[in-house]
Amino acid sequence: MHETSLMENLITIAEGALEGKKAKVKSVTLSVGKLSNALPAALSFAFKAMTQTGPLRGAELIMEEIPVKVRCENCGLEYEPDEFPYICPKCEETYYTITQGEDIYIESLNCQEL
Amino acid sequence: MEKIEIKKDLRELNNKIAMQNRSVFNENSIFTLNIMGSPGSGKTTLLENILKPLTVSFRIAVIEGDLATDNDSERIKKLGVTALQINTNGGCHLDAKMIQKELSGIDLNDIDLLIIENVGNLVCPISYDLGEDMRLVVLSTPEGEDKPLKYPPAMLNTDAVVLTKTDLAQFVDVNIKMMEKHIKDINPKASILKAGKIDGVYNADCVTKFIVESINSKKGK
Repeated sequence: MHETSLMENLITIAEGALEGKKAKVKSVTLSVGKLSNALPAALSFAFKAMTQTGPLRGAELIMEEIPVKVRCENCGLEYEPDEFPYICPKCEETYYTITQGEDIYIESLNCQEL
Repeated sequence: MEKIEIKKDLRELNNKIAMQNRSVFNENSIFTLNIMGSPGSGKTTLLENILKPLTVSFRIAVIEGDLATDNDSERIKKLGVTALQINTNGGCHLDAKMIQKELSGIDLNDIDLLIIENVGNLVCPISYDLGEDMRLVVLSTPEGEDKPLKYPPAMLNTDAVVLTKTDLAQFVDVNIKMMEKHIKDINPKASILKAGKIDGVYNADCVTKFIVESINSKKGK
């Protein structure tokens, strides 16, 4: 359940972005990579539990799943793989480098100005 | 409605401290190894067995991570190796900050190999860079041959997977060859190492060799 520590970081980052601003946060948009190792249901639960007070109180958490993208190490083709094993659709190489889908990003805060 | 664009990784703070740790390790010519795996996968037993041969060539300190007890650091101390214990009190992983704090208790001039045994967990520790040079994921055969397929990030974010308790596979109907195939299907680049009892004697020679070769390759030997 490292989702609580991820949410702690989200709150710290959001507080930093809100510093000096008079705004009520309506929603937080989060991009969750499919291979980010974070569970959306646990993120949602932690967010609710940890935003009972503070500047994100009452805000909604909007999560967008980011698909996995890899680059073939043989022919360089970037493709969206399906299931493991990842096989390049062009040259059938199995060695790849992940280019997207491992990160978990706070994209933006949607606020109502006070 | 005002939109404040942020675009920041939630692991940014941990990654920053991990980079600081990495600088400290490099300045002091310390090779750092992060061992991860499920509870009961045999991480500490593996460690006990590789420490014996490694202490011949390296000055070693060990950091043990557990929710509670200092059982593991006591086991390591019995081998005459410096061992520190982190108790996370419920925390499911070690993070870079915990390691940074622990470094003040180690004479960094006095070691050239730091081994961190993470909290037993095949999910959370994977996402936390500690500043290490190398990662080992320990997977015991009785956990099941499809375990690699169930935990892709653990298979992806490691230099090698160590299959432990290989001697038990036959009693729990686990096909080691299939387990290896599942690992390779996810991460064809990961090395697969095996450790277990052969004729009643624990053998992890290939793990020791892998670590020594990685240290030498970093030193440019």
